[in-house]
Parts: sequence; structure tokens; C-alpha cells
Amino acid sequence: MFVLAEKGMKIIERFIPMRHTDIRELLKFEKTPLNLLVAFTTLVFLVLFVVGATNYLIHGHHAYGVTREHPWGLMIAMYIFFVVSSTGLCIMSAIGHVFEVEVLEPFAKRAIHGALVTLLSGFVVIFLEIGHPLKMMIYNTISPGLTSAIWGMGVLYSLYLIFIVIEFFFLLRHDHKWAKRFGIFGLVVGVAAHSNLGAVFGFLVARPVANGIYYPLYFILSAMVTGCYLIFLMYGFKYKLNFPPEMQKTLVATSKILGLLLAILLFFEIWRMLTAIYGGMEDRAETALHILKSSPFLVGEILLGIVIPFLVILLSNGKAIRTMVFASLGGMVGIFFMRYDLVHDTQLYPMQTLKLREYQLPPSFIEYFPSTTEIFIALGAIGIAITLYYIGDKILYLETDPD
Amino acid sequence: MANYGMALDYKNCINCKACEVACKEENGVQLGADKHRIWVGVKEIEGLWPNLSIASSTFEPSQCQQCENAPCQEVCPTQATHYTKDGVVMVDADKCILCSYCMEACPYDARYVKEDTMTVDKCTFCSDTRLLRGETTTACQATCPTKVRTFGDLDDPNSEISILLAHREHRTLKTHLGTKPKLFYLI
Ligand code: SF4
Ligand code: SF4
Repeated sequence: MFVLAEKGMKIIERFIPMRHTDIRELLKFEKTPLNLLVAFTTLVFLVLFVVGATNYLIHGHHAYGVTREHPWGLMIAMYIFFVVSSTGLCIMSAIGHVFEVEVLEPFAKRAIHGALVTLLSGFVVIFLEIGHPLKMMIYNTISPGLTSAIWGMGVLYSLYLIFIVIEFFFLLRHDHKWAKRFGIFGLVVGVAAHSNLGAVFGFLVARPVANGIYYPLYFILSAMVTGCYLIFLMYGFKYKLNFPPEMQKTLVATSKILGLLLAILLFFEIWRMLTAIYGGMEDRAETALHILKSSPFLVGEILLGIVIPFLVILLSNGKAIRTMVFASLGGMVGIFFMRYDLVHDTQLYPMQTLKLREYQLPPSFIEYFPSTTEIFIALGAIGIAITLYYIGDKILYLETDPD
Repeated sequence: MANYGMALDYKNCINCKACEVACKEENGVQLGADKHRIWVGVKEIEGLWPNLSIASSTFEPSQCQQCENAPCQEVCPTQATHYTKDGVVMVDADKCILCSYCMEACPYDARYVKEDTMTVDKCTFCSDTRLLRGETTTACQATCPTKVRTFGDLDDPNSEISILLAHREHRTLKTHLGTKPKLFYLI
């Protein structure tokens, strides 16, 4: 197998500039405490993934904590988490290399690499969520449900994958003309796919708290925020917080953009809540109030996801880029809660409000907590993303010019 | 070609659950599965003791509403959920990929996961069982001791259900969502 892999690599090397590495070199890294911690965590996550995925393959959906009233759980949230990251990185990359905003160009390649890695990790998760993934590929093609947002999303994300692979290919070859062309396609299809994912929830007439235009728009906005956080994390880790002057300029510009995006996001959130609560429409207002009082929303989404990074940017005029790396770590935790809450909150209000047995209480808010298997797979998918990112970082030239 | 619907004289329901049992038997639903295919909702008695309103104590038999404008059909990515020529919403198990989108989209929580095929299923008005054998009633209707249920063709003006709906006031559930349910609750 290794021989085959090596032969494959040799063929690829003919087309894209790569560092020549063998497996032993691939596993070599500087043994700093941080590197060791990340390596160890990643390894643990990968093991958890194998355990979780095996359990799922044996027991199917029974291994998950989902129920009839709450059919979507952590897996869907994780899938969204990854594909949002992918779209966000793709948009941020396009600002630099497609729209030629020079100061943001340095991370174009690394961002597309991140987009590819997160998209693939998202696909891994969704394959372990859909009950019959192979049937999906067949019947999505020969019996398409054109009115279904999931169908649209599937098609658009597949196209998006193809476009960003080609875009990345040209970026690595320094063919800017073609990279730009495919960058435009990737961007347009990515944004379409992603807002379509928002529409998966926005189209639900049965769920007033999600129904409407909010999610398709919010998904694009929060994707860009995610893209900025990930850029801070990728470069913070790469330079161990000692940014070269060029990169400092780029990151200050990124944090200024991020500041604006966060302000808009906060504005979005405030009006979402106010419009949901105003008028007291039972299922919408009660659900919104329930969300408003929950700590994943207040601490996760608002404090970690928006307010802290926003304050760091505001108080330092965007210059505290080192602090922003830590704020971005918290920001990603907040982003995770945004995805998790989005899935969970949509399903909070019971569709059946009558009780079924005489001495029961009538149904109230639906409860859900992920099973161990779900948590293992979710963490494992993060492990997969880090591993793929690491491999790409080792063998490809991800900066503007080959080092 | 028919347009099947059902009228429910729900105030006659005595919550004996014979319909649930008959449905399970006829359509192969596992025993003990709660709220699979059909169920009877219990309304809270209104008022404070001792002034309780006996009239408010009703039971509301429910199931898939066989929506004419079904959200579950709209969202299905593989057309597994489809309308039959008789206007019944059905799931083709071969095409269902268990994405659960229809379970999210149904405003009546009418869908469940069928254990043997691991695909989504729901009430089919016995289309693939009794009606296929040439019978004209559903299992729940045939067994109901208080004759709560009347099943039939809404497009035929002389059918029992059409006559009933022409003469009795009725309501549908969550009408404001525009799903056009074909289960009519007689008032
Ligand atoms: S009640 Fe639910 S499952 Fe039945 S047709 Fe309507 S949306 Fe579909
Ligand atoms: S679970 Fe099956 S029937 Fe329901 S939307 Fe998905 S493919 Fe269609």
C-alpha cells in the first residue's frame, strides 16, 4: 500500500509543487509542549472516532441519543459546524485572491486548504448520520426531490467540493488566472450551498422559531465570522504568536473585518430574539424565551462566540492579534454552540401538545442530550480535520510563495 | 382515482385504544411502540376542583393528517415520500435514505422510524394492506366501537364522508399552516 501511495504521490508531484516527504518525515515535528499536547489530543480523538464509528456501524441510529420527537442531534450540528467553517474560509480566501484585496492575500492558499479539510470532515460526519448513505447517492441522482432543500444542498456542496479542489490545484501551481476563475465558481456555489443549508431550517413551516429568511442569511454571516476565527487559529499556531510584520498587517486587517462582522451578527441576534418574542405567538415566543434563558446561548453563543472577541477588537482597535488567537479559540467554542443550539432549538417545541395517557403531564419542551457515541464521533471528526490539516501543511506550500 | 380522507366524530371517542391495536396488527407495527402510526391524545380537564368541566374532557384520536399540501413530501430529497393517485401520502421504503427531514417537517409529529427496514413510515390509510385487498375500510375504522371514524372518497358527493362533512361542522388541525389536512374533526 505504501508503495502505491508513494507512486500516487510521485504522479501528483508532477502537477503540483510539493515537499518530498516520506511517512517517517511526516510524523516528525518539533517536540514543544504545545505541539505534543495537540498531537496527543488528536490521537485520542482519532481513537474515539474509531470507537464511535464502530459502535454506530453495529447499532445504527440506536447508538445515538436522537428520538422521534428530536430526530436531529449532535451529528447534524457537527456537520453544519464543519461546512460553515469551510464556506467561511472559502469566502475569506476569495476576498484576497479573487477580489484582490492585497492585504488579505497571504492566507488565500491556507484558507482554501482549511476549507477543503473542514468540508471533508463534514462529509465524514454526515455519512455517519444519514441512515442509508449509499442509497442517498443513487436516489438523489435518479429520483431527485427538486423541492427539497437537502437535495439542493447535497448537489451544491458536491459541486462546491469539485470547484474548490480545482481552485486549490491552480493556487498551488501559482496559476492565478485560473485559480481566480475557479475561485469565483467556488465562492458562488459555496455561498449558494451554504444559504441552502440555512434554508433546510428556514423552510420548516412547522417550526416557527426557525421558519423564515433568517437562517439562510445568518449562515453566510456566521460563516465569515468562523472563517476569521480559523484564520487566527491557523496562523497563531503556525507562528506560535510571533507573527512576522507582513502577517501582522494581514491579521490586523482580518480582525477589523471580524469586528464589523461581529457587530452585524450581534445586531442580527438581537432582532431575531425581539421579533420572536414580540406579540407572544405561543410556540415561537415561548421557545425564544426558553433559548434566551439557556446558558449555551448566553455563555456559548453570545459571550464566547460574539462579545469577548468583539470587545478585544474594539478595545485594541483591532491590534491585539495575539489576544485574538485566544479569543478565537473561545469563539470557535461559541460557534459550536451556535450550530448545536440551532439544531436543538428548532426542535424544542413539541409538535404534539396533548398527553397520551391519563396520568401523564402534557408534553413540554423536548429534551435531548447526545449519546457517548455521538460525542466520540464529533470529537473524532475534529481529530480528522486536524490530521488532514497537518498533512497538507507538511507536504504542500501553503504560503503565497514556496518557502 | 379517489381522494381519500377521514372524518372523526372525536367527541364519541372513549379512549379504548382499539384503533391503535388494530392498526398495529394490520400494518405490522411492533407491539408496545408508543404513538406509532395512530394514537389518542388526552385533553386536560379544564377548571379547578371541584368546579371541573366534564365537557372539556375529550379525547383526540390522531395520526398522519394526509395533508393535501404535505410538508413531508416537499422536503423529501429522493421522492421517497410521494402522493398516490388516490391522494394518500406514502413512503417508498426503497428510496428512503433516513435523513429524517420529513420528521422535522411534519407539523403533526406523525412519522416514525420503522425498525425492520430502518426507514421512515406513517399512516397510509391502509392503502398497502386492506385497500390493496379490495376492502373499503381502514383497520381503525372497522374496529372502533363508538363509530368515531368515517373513511372514504372526498371527491364522491354520495360517499358517507362527503355527506357527513356537508351536514356537520368540522375543523382541521393547525389549519393556519396551509397543509390542507384531510382528517376532519367533527364539532
Ligand atoms: S401529517 Fe405529517 S406525515 Fe402526514 S402528510 Fe401531513 S406532513 Fe406528511
Ligand atoms: S427520511 Fe426518507 S421519507 Fe423522510 S425525507 Fe428523508 S428520504 Fe424522504
